[in-house]
Amino acid sequence: MLGSILLQTAGTQHESFLEFLGKNIETFLTYTGVYNATSGHLIMILVGLLFIFLAIKYEFEPMLLIPIGFGILIGNIPFKDAGLQVGIYEQGSVLNILYQGVTSGWYPPLIFLGIGAMTDFSALISNPKLMLIGAAAQFGIFGAYIIALQMGFEPNQAAAIGIIGGADGPTAIFLSSKLAPNLMGAIAVSAYSYMALVPIIQPPFMRLLTTKKERLIRMKPPRVVSSTEKIIFPIIGLLLTCFLVPSGLPLLGMLFFGNLLKESGVTRRLAETARGPLIDTITILLGITVGASTQATQFLTLNSIKIFMLGALSFVIATCAGVLFVKFFNLFLKKDNKINPLIGNAGVSAVPDSARISQIVGLEYDPTNYLLMHAMGPNVAGVIGSAVAAGVLLGFLG
Amino acid sequence: MTNKKLGILLLSAFLLSIGGIKAQQATSMRINEVLVINEDNFVDDYGKRHTWIELFNNSAGSVNIQGCYLTNDKNNPKKYPIPKGDVLTLIPPRQHTLFWADNEPDRGTFHINFTLDPSKENYIALYDADGKTLIDEITIPAGQVADVSYGREMDGSGAWKPLKKVTPSTNNVTLDSNEKIDNFKENDSFGIGMTITAMAVVFCGLILLYVCFKYIGKLSISASKRKAKKVAGGNDIAANVGIESGEIFAAISMALYEISDDNHDIENTVLTIHKVKRIYSPWSSKIYGLRETPTIQKNQKK
Repeated sequence: MLGSILLQTAGTQHESFLEFLGKNIETFLTYTGVYNATSGHLIMILVGLLFIFLAIKYEFEPMLLIPIGFGILIGNIPFKDAGLQVGIYEQGSVLNILYQGVTSGWYPPLIFLGIGAMTDFSALISNPKLMLIGAAAQFGIFGAYIIALQMGFEPNQAAAIGIIGGADGPTAIFLSSKLAPNLMGAIAVSAYSYMALVPIIQPPFMRLLTTKKERLIRMKPPRVVSSTEKIIFPIIGLLLTCFLVPSGLPLLGMLFFGNLLKESGVTRRLAETARGPLIDTITILLGITVGASTQATQFLTLNSIKIFMLGALSFVIATCAGVLFVKFFNLFLKKDNKINPLIGNAGVSAVPDSARISQIVGLEYDPTNYLLMHAMGPNVAGVIGSAVAAGVLLGFLG
Repeated sequence: MTNKKLGILLLSAFLLSIGGIKAQQATSMRINEVLVINEDNFVDDYGKRHTWIELFNNSAGSVNIQGCYLTNDKNNPKKYPIPKGDVLTLIPPRQHTLFWADNEPDRGTFHINFTLDPSKENYIALYDADGKTLIDEITIPAGQVADVSYGREMDGSGAWKPLKKVTPSTNNVTLDSNEKIDNFKENDSFGIGMTITAMAVVFCGLILLYVCFKYIGKLSISASKRKAKKVAGGNDIAANVGIESGEIFAAISMALYEISDDNHDIENTVLTIHKVKRIYSPWSSKIYGLRETPTIQKNQKK
């Protein structure tokens, strides 16, 4: 009698324990990525893998595409939204804390500090008229702005999308975080993707818009620039541009400050930190968090697809505007002072990639015509131009 | 020289400290709205209705108003010192705080030691912590209507008038849309206006830089010419100083390359390591652990 009761009790306990185990496993399964995966997550993971592939196989902007690509993988691991502080959009999670540098917009100015500390403005100072090419290429921003408005975006959203045409990732992130935070992920990924694809996007339009004769134009070699001029440049650059557009101060201020650290000659350690460990750290954090912000649930929308289309268009418009402006400018220049229109594409601020494209395309037509140094002028002017354009848009719509 | 440097440093520190003090002052506070006759309106923490005075932080930074003074008497600017040590006296940017003019300062920081008289005009002023610097003042006209507040048209700025809505501790004008964006939507739906304006600004900025550096460049070239002339003892320097042709740079580069190449050849400490190529794993290979098998050389026998 007692034995049967004990057996029965043991049997009941055994059953309840098994039930408990079963429920535990069932609960565990609901937490797994496999259980929570959607087709959106898988698509985004494929996009992340594509970025990593492009970066490793073709070396398309690997410094950006590897962190962003891996960030996309991190951001698209499916999980149950159970308040575990895992996801980038969950307040207090590690990724969320790192992401604050993007949402509050303080990563981009630090990147600009590093860019300033590594940029040599000599090419621009020696031939300052090249600055105007950097201004002309900003038509890409406003061309995309006009089209985005027609596609039904609000003016602030259109401005944030248009800035992709500046080909400047940090500026795009900075402006979109202020004007259209909900579109920032798509804008940032689009900007960096097209920056990486500059070698594919730009050359066909450069060839299309130039004649063979124009492609062979040899430009005067740049003159030697004194150190005094290099020191004066960031100071005057800051005062002139920021008095005109104070809303561009966070980006322009840091850009010119970084450049003064480099050129002053007495702050070598600071300049090395800014262009080395600091910019590397921020690039890693920026890339990984921007990538992780592309959670399928937030990212895979019709707007994102529109933004990608507009991004491509803005790059094309910027390239064409730069090249056509040089051709127009040449009408007013003396014969021995003409500018090779192949450097017009470099007016976008994808430094130094677009300048390298000018060099490569130029060498195709004349193996002894080196355009790199000339193209660096509009290229760095493009950085200033896009930051000024961002400041104007922020001032009008912020 | 050292004294001169020290003087410049001290002057800079002085200027910076003035800037710093300015930034921390409560000068950006404004008297924003006043309700003199409170019959059926906002109640305080004690459930009582009294006259209230709203202050507004008109800046983009937090301002601590502790130690400042509120008064209704021109001859007594220090009538009500705002107590120190209360965290609530730190007013966030573009935010409000409310003071109850109930003459009951024992009820807390925000209950002041005077009241306003509805039968006559009332003077209210806010003084800085020194008790001398006037930050803001207003005279509320007599004949105020019950439960109608008297305030600024816009928060922190604009003319004073009876307000349509009583808005204690909140904006006098409630914005339910973004005026800037609406303006662009209404007047520039194609974006042409924005494009023209923004591109004009971008071009202006870069044209200014261009003009500046065109002339700075000219100055620099003439300065370097003068310097070179001085070094050359007054002889004329070629007009194209500083503008070397690509061929010259190429020749110099080639010469430098050749020299460095030659140097490498005459080094006697160059160590060349040839990799031992084997298809099997080095972990199991004896080739790395053993010497090569000695061979008998016939010449040695002779």
